Amino acid sequence: MSWFKLNRNLHRDIGYFCIGMTLVFAISGIALNHIHQFNSNYQVSRVSHQITLDVERIETPEFESQLLQKLALTTPVKARFWQDKNTYKLFLKDTTLYLNPQANTVLVEQVKPRLLLRQLNFLHLNEARAAWMWFSDFYAVLLIYLALSALFMVKGKKGVWGPRGILVLAGFAAPIGFVVYYSS
Amino acid sequence: MKAALISVTLLTIMTLSSNAYSKTFNGGADKSKLVPISTLLSDAQRYTTESATIAGTVTRVCQKRGCWMQIASDKKFQTLMVKVRDGDMVFPMTAQGKTAYATGTVKLIPLSLEQTNARRKAQQLEPVDSPETLHLFTPVAVTIED
Repeated sequence: MSWFKLNRNLHRDIGYFCIGMTLVFAISGIALNHIHQFNSNYQVSRVSHQITLDVERIETPEFESQLLQKLALTTPVKARFWQDKNTYKLFLKDTTLYLNPQANTVLVEQVKPRLLLRQLNFLHLNEARAAWMWFSDFYAVLLIYLALSALFMVKGKKGVWGPRGILVLAGFAAPIGFVVYYSS
Repeated sequence: MKAALISVTLLTIMTLSSNAYSKTFNGGADKSKLVPISTLLSDAQRYTTESATIAGTVTRVCQKRGCWMQIASDKKFQTLMVKVRDGDMVFPMTAQGKTAYATGTVKLIPLSLEQTNARRKAQQLEPVDSPETLHLFTPVAVTIED
């Protein structure tokens, strides 16, 4: 087999192998770039309720069970804490209740990890540590191979030595342009 | 071949959908060094160099990057912020209400009077005449337990 054919075959097969990883990093890359506009890790819902709160009874188990009943919540209270003099917090599984006895309001905040996006971000930010880091390095090496081998996919004028070479130069020019413009 | 591809895809989705994050960071906190948060804050200068482990209910977590969490003190209205560099540890938002143990040291950040009163206003506390110091806990290891 000629080196040209070998290169094309390797480029194709490594390309197939990289599809999964590329999707993981590309989707989570967009999600993390826009994390300030859209929380891709968690779905947070907040609903406010007007409920009369008796500050004298607020720390009693009877009050807690009545409140949970009113809010149709079935999970038990795990922890409680006075955040400040007007905010008493009750923690349930994935739910936090913010009680304001002065305003007689209860804010129910529910946190749910987003299916798939949370896990993709988990991988992108290397929360899995060591093993994933080595696998990511391996993927990066494969990407370098894919980039360089792409230069030799087509021979002659129809390849990078023809007009399409401008595309390669454009790919270098874009990051250089950003560095020159934003770092000066 | 088609069946193998479908199986791999389904297996990947199932794995990714599971509860993937760990509840310990850097091997977990050293529980033999436990110091109540109120004690640590009353002698904060000492713990800028001496390592200690704090424990308490997680009351708030950074929603976007999970780079900080607030831990309730043993004293009413008192909390301590546990802060890491982005990416060093990612605290899950679902840690709220769980018990966190963090081993590390305290960082003291002097605030201006304006900053002090802005913080106190956010905490619905009365303004003061002299600036305060912000205490941040920098952990080297953390354990979060349900």
